[in-house]
Amino acid sequence: METINEIKRDILSSLLSQGKRADGRGMFDYRQIAVHSAPLQNAEGSALATIGKTQVMAGIKFDVAAPFPDRPTEGVLSTSADLLPLASHLFETGPPGDDSIELARVVDRGIRSANVVDLNSFFIEDEKVLALYLDIYVLDHDGNLIDASTLAAMAALLSARMPKIEEGKIVRGEFTGKLPVKDKVVSCTFGKLGSRLFLDPSLDEEKGMDCRLTLSTTDSHLCAGQKGGWGAISERDLMEMVDISLQKGKELRRLL
Amino acid sequence: MTEEKAHSPTHHSHSHQPESRIVMPGELLFDRPERISYAFIDGGKTYSTVVGLFSEGKLVPLEGPYEPLVDDLVVGLVTEVKFAGYSVDINTAYPAFLSSRETRERFEMGDTIFARITMIDEVRSIELGEARKLPAGRLVKVSSVKVPRIIGKKNSMLEMLSKQTGCEIYVGRNGYVWIAGKGNASLAEKAIRMIEVQAHTRGLTDRVAAFLKEEHGR
Amino acid sequence: MSQAESNKPKLLVDGKRIDGRATDELRPIRIVARVLNDADGSAYVEWGKNKVLAGVYGPSECIPRHDQSLYRSVVRCRYNMAPFSGAEEHGRSGPSRRSRELSKVIKEAFENVIISENFPRTQIEIFVEVLQSDGGTRCAAITAASVALADAGIPMKDLITAVAVGKIDGQMAIDLGKEEDNFGESDMPLAFSLRTGELLLFQMDGLLTREELQKGIAMAKAAAQKVHKLQVEAIRKVYEEPREERFLPVKGALEK
Repeated sequence: METINEIKRDILSSLLSQGKRADGRGMFDYRQIAVHSAPLQNAEGSALATIGKTQVMAGIKFDVAAPFPDRPTEGVLSTSADLLPLASHLFETGPPGDDSIELARVVDRGIRSANVVDLNSFFIEDEKVLALYLDIYVLDHDGNLIDASTLAAMAALLSARMPKIEEGKIVRGEFTGKLPVKDKVVSCTFGKLGSRLFLDPSLDEEKGMDCRLTLSTTDSHLCAGQKGGWGAISERDLMEMVDISLQKGKELRRLL
Repeated sequence: MTEEKAHSPTHHSHSHQPESRIVMPGELLFDRPERISYAFIDGGKTYSTVVGLFSEGKLVPLEGPYEPLVDDLVVGLVTEVKFAGYSVDINTAYPAFLSSRETRERFEMGDTIFARITMIDEVRSIELGEARKLPAGRLVKVSSVKVPRIIGKKNSMLEMLSKQTGCEIYVGRNGYVWIAGKGNASLAEKAIRMIEVQAHTRGLTDRVAAFLKEEHGR
Repeated sequence: MSQAESNKPKLLVDGKRIDGRATDELRPIRIVARVLNDADGSAYVEWGKNKVLAGVYGPSECIPRHDQSLYRSVVRCRYNMAPFSGAEEHGRSGPSRRSRELSKVIKEAFENVIISENFPRTQIEIFVEVLQSDGGTRCAAITAASVALADAGIPMKDLITAVAVGKIDGQMAIDLGKEEDNFGESDMPLAFSLRTGELLLFQMDGLLTREELQKGIAMAKAAAQKVHKLQVEAIRKVYEEPREERFLPVKGALEK
């Protein structure tokens, strides 16, 4: 509801201008994070990640598919995100909206850029490759869906097992080993209101803030970025967030 | 069904009533027909419709939507400014309206107000009166059935919360709680959450007092 | 018995089923109420390998307005399977014809018990997500949704309890697993109001005699009493062991 945004914005900016947050955390603190690996058995990989009251599940299924014509020996990685109507009164039933498409693409971009999954190893035979479907399932929305989704996706990939292939088909329930994962990608999302930057925006903060900025990192590199919202980011702000992301990324990676 | 609802369920009555029990929807309350709130009669027997506390022949729901009643004092959010008045969100599925004639104060979209329900018509449209704007603060949404516990006997809980946190706290019967003033709003919010989750338990006032004291000492 | 006899495993050996159960024995069931933060009511059910999450919103303003009733709350239901929920291939996104039918019959079961006259012009929404499926998801879904509705404080004339019964190797057995469902002779999902003993959901496929049907209903009803007890325990636990944090109690997870 629009009006709540207005109220929240007033309170938020007065709090933030004093360097405070409504729940008492520091400007660059995460809420409590938990990662549960492999809660599901039918999926070839799965995880549940929670940041504060935000809960996101990720599931992985493999299928045999035809490769893209321009990359005949490469497997397929397909990421999608569902903002389930049970997760928030703000979400509606229906086909994916812009927000869920953006969420899936930002998570996908980090994983793809860092070559987390070696798609060349997905080749089966001519016209046949493995397709990895990574589904992000938002179960409870209290802000910062991107970081929770990236954590869930990465943990699901790390838990995933390679299906056994016989005569060009997947033998369900049998595996040849773990999915080789080259790197651990995590993302850090910041909010900005006025001149104040803060990490891990809650839903209340998201409603009132001017913009958000997400930076995904590996141990050594930045691997994806996304700004959302109407606010502007100065180069100085950006570099501050880059430094914090690289540093916080190490802490997040320890949870995986 | 229950046409008449208890206005203010005596939520703390069970604290001196040992034989209270938690009942489920469909659970038998009486072997005879008894017209009590949140219950229904079928085949000459009386059953609960809700998860509730049943004691002394009374049923108090432990959860449930806010059911507005005339004279309820509510905290509301102005959602729309119209020619003739204001649309106000008071945590119900039904529209609440504050007519310009009912108030000398002028409000803006996004203002938080404290008001009284003056009328509810046959299609449940709600009219508000005696409205006043609340000072800057934060909104905490709680289940409306827990509100009597947050207020406490003769305002005791609310007075303790205000005193120990230094906040002005406005508790709407509708489950919207507004925390204003220069006090420790985060602490007030934590304490209110604690009361909400433990509303059905005994000795709550003492535990909240201990919690506030401990947090205060930090 | 038109199934391909050659592939059909023996479903009953010395009165024991594939997973070792007796014909009147339920799979292990675990019910946890209040697991989501934004939903007005919620519940998580593990039923054998099935994992189901239910969330309830309402009563809220009925949108679109032309769906409103002046006399009662409009009950809506969405039963949905996660694309990673099955043991076989990746599921299609969006509701299938099967999901739409199940959504309808589940909604109709709850229309019987929800006292919707209390909330004219509003809607009550029931969302069920099947996170993992192993036969019998609709019974797990109804059982979860019933607890979620009670958790939301929606007035009802009873909790609804669901159990399926079917015929395997010529014998009636309750709560068929996936393989039993695939190779059995008949499956009959049922939902009861145990207060009245009446059926609120009834579906059936395959062939049954009049006597088998009658026996099946008696077996399912006896089992439903056990499931009902678990539903009640889950709701009581919210008050007997109150906790502020709400999260999906996934099991078998490698927690960090």
